[in-house]
Amino acid sequence: MLRVECLEVLYGDFQVLWDVSLAVREGEIVCLLGPNGAGKSTVMNATTALVPRRAGRVVFRGEDLAGVPTHEIVSRGLAHVLERRRLFPTLTVRQNLLLGGYNPSARGRRAESLAWVESMFPVLAERRNQLAGTLSGGQQQMVAIARGLMARPRLLMIDEPFLGLAPNVVDDILAMFERINGEGVALLFTEQNVQLALSLSHRGYLLESGRIVLEGAGREMLEHETVRHVYLGL
Amino acid sequence: MRAWLAHRVEGLPVAAIVILVAALALYPLAATMPFWRHVVIMSMLYGAMGVAWNILGGLAGQVSFGHGLYFGVGAYTAAYCYTAFGLSPIVSLPMALAISTGASVLIGLPTFRLRGHYFVLASVFIMQSIYVLVSNWDRMGGAIGIEYPVYKAEGIADALWHGQFPDKLPYYYAALALFLLALGTFRAIQRSRFGMFLVAIREEQDAAHSLGVDVARYKLYALIASAAVTTLAGTFYAQYVLYVEPISTVSLLVSLEIGFIAILGGIGTLWGPALGAFVIVPTTELLRAYLSGRLALDMSRLADGGPLAWLEYYALGGGGNVDILVYGLVIMLIARFQPAGVLGFLRRID
Repeated sequence: MLRVECLEVLYGDFQVLWDVSLAVREGEIVCLLGPNGAGKSTVMNATTALVPRRAGRVVFRGEDLAGVPTHEIVSRGLAHVLERRRLFPTLTVRQNLLLGGYNPSARGRRAESLAWVESMFPVLAERRNQLAGTLSGGQQQMVAIARGLMARPRLLMIDEPFLGLAPNVVDDILAMFERINGEGVALLFTEQNVQLALSLSHRGYLLESGRIVLEGAGREMLEHETVRHVYLGL
Repeated sequence: MRAWLAHRVEGLPVAAIVILVAALALYPLAATMPFWRHVVIMSMLYGAMGVAWNILGGLAGQVSFGHGLYFGVGAYTAAYCYTAFGLSPIVSLPMALAISTGASVLIGLPTFRLRGHYFVLASVFIMQSIYVLVSNWDRMGGAIGIEYPVYKAEGIADALWHGQFPDKLPYYYAALALFLLALGTFRAIQRSRFGMFLVAIREEQDAAHSLGVDVARYKLYALIASAAVTTLAGTFYAQYVLYVEPISTVSLLVSLEIGFIAILGGIGTLWGPALGAFVIVPTTELLRAYLSGRLALDMSRLADGGPLAWLEYYALGGGGNVDILVYGLVIMLIARFQPAGVLGFLRRID
């Protein structure tokens, strides 16, 4: 469904991604792993044209996204939840969610989408009129993910969904992932915790210093020697 | 009926709004002295511009210190068309709005790619450049500007066509209409989907962008709307003072004043900039009228005066510009004690 091919990204003269290729198939959960500064967020930001691509192709559902601006990508079914949530703090939870559903392909179904995400995550309905900036970190992450779902995506990309969350909140987000995937939405997410990410993903990619160094099925990767040695300390 | 009057618009009961508008409408009947009418005319004029500035600066979060440009477009288009071709401001206003929109697009497209402080700096740089250009543009009267010939109108229709009236009353109601138009425009945008997009851009531009908001386009729309109301204010100003010069129109000074009114009144709020204008403009006007003249330095004292007299001379700018000193002080006090703006003082009481 999503194919990223030979992606190269430079910030000024400084190259941060080399020849990055990855794919997500219909209905899959895929994780993009790697340490801090490996370029995980840059892969996502380049995919949705928030940062320019120096070289490489992004193909989504058979369409080449070359030259397609960020704000048009979402209506093709690819939603991107940015790192650190990026809610609109002075708007209410409901306004935040509605803002996720204004793109042309989702606009007509806004009320239905709102009911859909609120039924999946009842806490959003309880907090409907609360200002988003006053929610706890975990709740904010839920709003950010639900706001992405309001676009009715086929693929939801989430950058660092577990960043800075308490362990019990991590479980809530994990449950959320399963529910979303159960609704037929594919997921691509970045994460530093290899054990956590691979145990819930169908497949994974490992990014180091801007290059994909390993890829494979979740369980296979957990048993791979490098991963066990470097990331799991076994 | 009573329930409707108790309904609040951004914290202000409808009944209070009705009373305030009625008070403004009836004010010139009580204040017959031209000076007192002038103070409120200027307050409403700057209030309208503060409110218009707030569409871009407050809702979209794009702080511009270049709005004097759009004020100048309105003022200079009216003055030039009238003095050069005898065109009524009614005819030149649509031209002014077209120029203002063109300028918004030309300036907005490149500068909206800048973020935060760099956008502010760009607006200051552009404003200063335009000021220098207009000051040296002979056709526009250079630094001296354009003076209207005084026209004695015969009848109301003729006066309207020439946009000149013998007393301040028609100007007063035109300024009131402009003020209410600005508030209405802001409110309409604030409540619309467009307004919500602007707030989203202000709070988290990248998130808004990735949710499908065409950031560049909506910033530009905000600028066009904001500039249009400011241009309208410029045309009114030219017809009111019948004299247009660079320093009081296309200058950084005017641009800062417009921005300060909105920021000190309460940025991003409906009533803040309107209130800010009614605090800052009368303060300036009263200080200018009562202090400047009185404290103007007696030059003869300089001859036999010691260092103190010279200090006084420099501090007061020679012409006794105490009003500007006190104006600066008022701004510092508001910024120090109520960064949320003048509106914040009232909120605290509430």
